Amino acid sequence: MSDPAAQISAQLTATKSLTPNPTWLSAFLTTQRPTTPFPALTQTACFRLLASDITQSLTTTSSTCFPQDVHNVNLKERRLGGSIAVQVLAVEDMSKSRWEQIEAIEALERGEGTKGREIIRVAATVEDDSAGATVQKGGGPHKLLLQDAAGRRVYGIELKGLEGVGLGMSIGCKMILKNTLVARGAVLLEPTTVTVLGGKIEELHKAWKEGRKAELKAAIEATEHEARVQNDQS
Amino acid sequence: MARKILCVAEKPAIAKSVAQHLSGGQVTTRSITGNPYVKNYDFDFNFGPPWGNCSVTMTSVLGHLTELKFPAQYNQWHSPPPWSLFDAPVEDVVNQDKKAIADNIAQQARYSRALFVWTDCDREGEHIGSEVRRAAFQGNRSLEVKRAQFNNTERAHVVRAAQNAINLDERQVNAVAARIELDLRIGYAFTRFNTLTLQVMGGDLSERVISYGSCQFPTLGFVVDRYFRVKNFVPEKFWSIKVMHLRDDMEVTFSWRRHRLFDRVSVVILFERCLTARMAKVTKLQKKPTSKWRPLPLTTVELQKLGSMYLRMDSQRVMKIAEDLYNKGWISYPRTETDSFDKGIDLRNLIEKQVQDNAWGPYAQGLLAGGFKWPRSGRNNDQAHPPIHPVNYVSLAALSGDDRRVYEFVVRRFLACCSEDAKGESTIVEIEYGDETFFTNGLIVLERNYLDVYPYEKWTSSQPLPRFNMHETFEPTEANITEGETTAPGYLTEPELISLMDANGIGTDATMAEHIAKIKDREYVMTQARAGGTAQANSTNSRGGRGGRGGRGGAQGGSNAGNGGGGGSVQQFIPTTLGVALIEGYDGIGLETSLGKPFLRKEMEIKMKEICAGTKSRHDFVQETLEQYREVFVRTQQQVGVLRAACRKYVFGDQP
Repeated sequence: MSDPAAQISAQLTATKSLTPNPTWLSAFLTTQRPTTPFPALTQTACFRLLASDITQSLTTTSSTCFPQDVHNVNLKERRLGGSIAVQVLAVEDMSKSRWEQIEAIEALERGEGTKGREIIRVAATVEDDSAGATVQKGGGPHKLLLQDAAGRRVYGIELKGLEGVGLGMSIGCKMILKNTLVARGAVLLEPTTVTVLGGKIEELHKAWKEGRKAELKAAIEATEHEARVQNDQS
Repeated sequence: MARKILCVAEKPAIAKSVAQHLSGGQVTTRSITGNPYVKNYDFDFNFGPPWGNCSVTMTSVLGHLTELKFPAQYNQWHSPPPWSLFDAPVEDVVNQDKKAIADNIAQQARYSRALFVWTDCDREGEHIGSEVRRAAFQGNRSLEVKRAQFNNTERAHVVRAAQNAINLDERQVNAVAARIELDLRIGYAFTRFNTLTLQVMGGDLSERVISYGSCQFPTLGFVVDRYFRVKNFVPEKFWSIKVMHLRDDMEVTFSWRRHRLFDRVSVVILFERCLTARMAKVTKLQKKPTSKWRPLPLTTVELQKLGSMYLRMDSQRVMKIAEDLYNKGWISYPRTETDSFDKGIDLRNLIEKQVQDNAWGPYAQGLLAGGFKWPRSGRNNDQAHPPIHPVNYVSLAALSGDDRRVYEFVVRRFLACCSEDAKGESTIVEIEYGDETFFTNGLIVLERNYLDVYPYEKWTSSQPLPRFNMHETFEPTEANITEGETTAPGYLTEPELISLMDANGIGTDATMAEHIAKIKDREYVMTQARAGGTAQANSTNSRGGRGGRGGRGGAQGGSNAGNGGGGGSVQQFIPTTLGVALIEGYDGIGLETSLGKPFLRKEMEIKMKEICAGTKSRHDFVQETLEQYREVFVRTQQQVGVLRAACRKYVFGDQP
């Protein structure tokens, strides 16, 4: 019988562009019964990979990771070869102000999600019911903080809407970037070059959710500070 | 056997005009003992079968005749304790100052074979009808009781109502009776509790009655909620991309489909890609007919909102005037939720009456000559009243200041409803530039139609657009990154407050204005002009009664002019420190259902409708609701500290 580790690895690389590293894979195999049929084993491995931290579970070959100089802001545009596996560490909706998001979180904290405290805030007194109001509504584009197997972090901008990307997505969600554009150090995400595999890193997701409000507040303060510094200089 | 029929209206003005119409002018007027406003009108009228020709005495009440009260031993605020009011006995007694009116009804009933109730046709009016019935039975137990169904005092309508009387709707009577009992118990219990708990804190609170009402508090809650949103607001910068193209000497500005983003770096990257692409391509070119819809038939809530927005009058003032106009027979009943006209109504006839006016007469004439279109139908129908519309013509010169503006609005709105939509042609040009999409809109107004008679709305053509061709490419003249900053929302305005009350089920169309006036009265909120004028503590006349509708019938009591209106800008509400403390306090008590939030009251309104529909009994409704509020009361008592802490923080400015 051939080596199951190699088989699984080959299968996952071919179908999902996920190449598990040997250490992770052998640790995984020790937890499985040797009698488990191969397809089931591969499926379980895939599921575990999606729930794992890829800096621990994937190989770090140059064709599956960002190049070292990916952040170079002097490069106006370039394409990345290979299939790069990344996980999402943070997501922002760039169309929403941070304050607007804080307000929504606080409304939930005050219990307005429960029936006895709910309150409807629509006050549509604007008399504009005709054409004209055609500005895009709803969320997006989003800005994602991506991390590859080598631990390198890069921002991604959702150039065209991606299914599965949004404020409700799971932190630790895995994506494969194929032939993506990078402009001034930011990856430009679009459906033709990005495959969203899904998955979640439980602890990161929990921490992100809990720290969300504080983070938004910190971000506001940071930009305020930045503005003050700019004013002082001018 | 006596052939006399006793008719009783809700207020003197209605009694007078109904008497005029039924008698054809042959009427004797008598004063009554003990009340200067109520008159008795004697005349003859043929009610048709089975009544035939009868002599009639028409009189009126002044709103509610009776009052629900706790017995005298409950007059002390301290004892028995406030919570005992949840199940203390109550008694329904004739109001001291209405005694003469009740006596008059009893006396007139003695010589009558039937009582016709002419109170306003809504829930509250039905209950007043039952009060009238009780007073009449004091004089004559064997009276037959009927109810006239009418919603304006136009002659033919009134005659038809007199000849087609129905029975009082006991369900509606019960719904209101239950509401009155709940308002009494809950209002007294919490008001006494609030006052006793907070007065002892001294200072500004030592002399104050801190009232609670199940509508007042959520209404105040909306004002406080917005106040904090304004106060806590933090502005943030955003960036956008604007593209300008010069063609045929016309400047065309294209807006970014993404509108604006709160991330500068991303905008710069996207912008650079536009510049790099150099050429823009037309990807969408659409010309289509468009229209601006004529307004829906007018409801009370809309009248109040628009009155505040277009006429700059507060809702209470608008309602007061509308009620006057109704009492005088110029417009239909102004308390209605209905926004569609019944197919049976003769709208052309109503339009015809407006033809004689100098200003809108020609327009009305135009409608009759072929421009008429049956009004749009909204989704609401209270099954009792048509939308607010003019019933008779009165020349504006015959009306005084604000009456004139409200009447004019009602007429113009009505004519607008019966007109064609405004028609135009809209053009959308969309371009792709780099990875981004931009668009521009053009509008040509072709037919103004209803807008000609309805100056309150605007719809104007945009600047003309130069010619673009599908798929053509061009190099935009200019592209820029623009920067902006978010701004705080404004304080709550009256139209917004009314919308919120409406959306959250607080009060009925008939009572919203009163709840708003009440929280001003109690100094829980102040109003100021939106432009940033000085705040005025708006003190409207305090009216004695609690209950749903102080305003009704009591209008003679004192000029109720209010001090809204006049000015040029919309009024906005700001809570006082006490108002903030009350809401923060009750929210902080950590009840699953907060008194400052709409939920409990909304449930009450829903259950009242169930009583009217016959799916719930009055007893169950009262018990269920009392149980809910009792629970809140107990929790509040246990956590008085939270309420006091909120007062210390906001009213006395202590640092926590």
